[in-house]
Amino acid sequence: MGVRGRRTRLPRSVPSWFRSGHRELGLCLLIAAVLVGIGMVDPRFHSTGTWNDLLVRSAPTMIVACGVTLVVLTGEIDVSVGSQMAFLAAILGTMVSRTEWNLSPWIGLPATLAAGAAIGMLNGILVTIGRVPSIVATLGVMTALRGATTWMMGGSNIEGLPDALTRAAKQGLFRAGPPLGVVVAAGTAFVCYLLLHHMPLGRHLYAVGGGREAARLAGLSEIRLKWFAFAVTGFLVALATIVDVPRLPKIEAGIGVDFELLVITCVVVGGVSISGGRGRLGGVLLAVLLMTLIRPVLTFLEIGESGEKWAKAVQGVMILAAVLSDRAASRGVRREP
Amino acid sequence: MRRRLSSRLFATYLFLAMWIGASGCGSSSPESKNSGGAAHSKRTVCLLPKIKGISYFTSCHRGAVEAADELGDIELIYDGPIDGDPKKQAEMIEQWTVDGVDVICVAPNAPDVVANAMREARAAGIHVITWDADGTADSRSFFVNQATAESIGRGMVKAMVDDLGPDAEGDVVIISSDATSANQNAWIDVMKPALAESRLRLATIKYPGENASNALADAKDVLQKYEALKGIFGISSVAFPGAAEGVEQAGKSGQVLVTGLSTPNDMRRYVKNGTVKSVVLWNTIDLGYLTVRVASALARGDLKEGATTFDAGRLGTLRVVGDHVVLGDIIVFTRDNIDQYDF
Repeated sequence: MGVRGRRTRLPRSVPSWFRSGHRELGLCLLIAAVLVGIGMVDPRFHSTGTWNDLLVRSAPTMIVACGVTLVVLTGEIDVSVGSQMAFLAAILGTMVSRTEWNLSPWIGLPATLAAGAAIGMLNGILVTIGRVPSIVATLGVMTALRGATTWMMGGSNIEGLPDALTRAAKQGLFRAGPPLGVVVAAGTAFVCYLLLHHMPLGRHLYAVGGGREAARLAGLSEIRLKWFAFAVTGFLVALATIVDVPRLPKIEAGIGVDFELLVITCVVVGGVSISGGRGRLGGVLLAVLLMTLIRPVLTFLEIGESGEKWAKAVQGVMILAAVLSDRAASRGVRREP
Repeated sequence: MRRRLSSRLFATYLFLAMWIGASGCGSSSPESKNSGGAAHSKRTVCLLPKIKGISYFTSCHRGAVEAADELGDIELIYDGPIDGDPKKQAEMIEQWTVDGVDVICVAPNAPDVVANAMREARAAGIHVITWDADGTADSRSFFVNQATAESIGRGMVKAMVDDLGPDAEGDVVIISSDATSANQNAWIDVMKPALAESRLRLATIKYPGENASNALADAKDVLQKYEALKGIFGISSVAFPGAAEGVEQAGKSGQVLVTGLSTPNDMRRYVKNGTVKSVVLWNTIDLGYLTVRVASALARGDLKEGATTFDAGRLGTLRVVGDHVVLGDIIVFTRDNIDQYDF
């Protein structure tokens, strides 16, 4: 007990509620603490306006984080989602904008979704068949897509999206009710939750990320499962683009800059092990809420001109804390068979 | 093993295809009407924008063509990278140096990246000036400065105070770009004392970066936070429309005024619906016109170091401060005049 006990004390000193196993509870407590705290500083934070907007803002992150969670669970990573969003926004805008091709949304939306899935499949091909490490492959795709977007847009912006699209994104499908993004995010989260935690396919994804050898012995196709995860991610980025980009004043080449960082932060803070095989979707969804809270909370705290610098620093500290606790938890697991 | 090798090759091939696709498409090869090294009666002036194809620089080009037509002996070449890549700017300068043109006017995207090419052009006896954005001091002889930070910063505050009415009291917020953006910070340094002279209080400054989602979110947050908010300054071409969109979505058009710096085309919609009353910018057509005028004067030897004034054709006599030829004041686009401008 003596020496070994001492060595295991370090991981145990990480608060147990922040360990992967209790990540959801820990995040709930953290979010509650932030909300109560900011309510005491400025009660006006808790208004329908702020809350509505928080949900709308978190929607694209939530939709895409569901996909990236699948990818990370299989032991891979996708850093191209921000560039994918810009590229898909350019495709969507070019097809349906009044000032461009002016096609019907019934053509433009399916085409955008198909393009998203195709990009995801390309990522999947590079990683599985091409055997390029996913960080390198998706980094390449990230740069290539950003370049392609700038070229497609030719340095100008796209305006004039169909009213139906902007109205659905801003005011909800029928001029009332929750904006489209919130509905789609809830639906996506529900489907992914069922898939991951109540279907054989979900178990297979975990198995592939958890221990490849075991998965291969069990007869699972690593290639097909990873391919599936990347394709789903591309499709979900397209979905997020359709519900979120019409909220913005115009489509420009800079859409989605740093988005991949935000999404990966949420996945890691949400307790998904970056080496694959461990973590739950609930934690990721809570982490999305928490990360979305940072910007408005800093505004309401009135920390002033350095607000933006703080927002980035806070995001960085949370990644570090999450990764450290993840390592501590995995060490704990190994020591307590 | 064999299978692995072939799959590696396949991946490499895919990568190469993508890279070439991405970089090849972006570089519009300079379509210089090669004037060669031959002695020419016309003087060749090259105008290099930060980005070719965006409305802002296209309107500058319009003014440049006007000046070239007026002067008669100018062969004008307008070309630039389509994606704003400074390395491609440097390549174009190098090509023009080889071609032996007379004057190169650069709007550098990254002063340090193009400085070498500019210095080499000067060493080859070509006049090099900067316009729209300045380069490093030794890489050019003159800088055609569209408007000083002083006039831009004060212009935005004046527009806000005038639009709100002289008696208006309350809070204003600045939504900038990144905390490190040099232009924006210079304007903020001017805006702070100008606001201090008014009855408006600068509540905070937000830095959404070049991210429209963040700018939109920040606008909505400050609308909730500051009850006495009277106005928002959006001082980048991303922050301004983002802030206007935020105010419009929050249903506060007309109650909280948005002012800032952007092109008329980007802001027309918000000016028409009353969210924005004034859009501050300089006359980009005049900027292109003046740049070609300065280039021509340099080539003829009419403009020398130490000059204090410059005869700029239809713009009259302009000030030369140090090595800056100053275009002059900003213009303010409002509901009444915005339709006269298309850029």
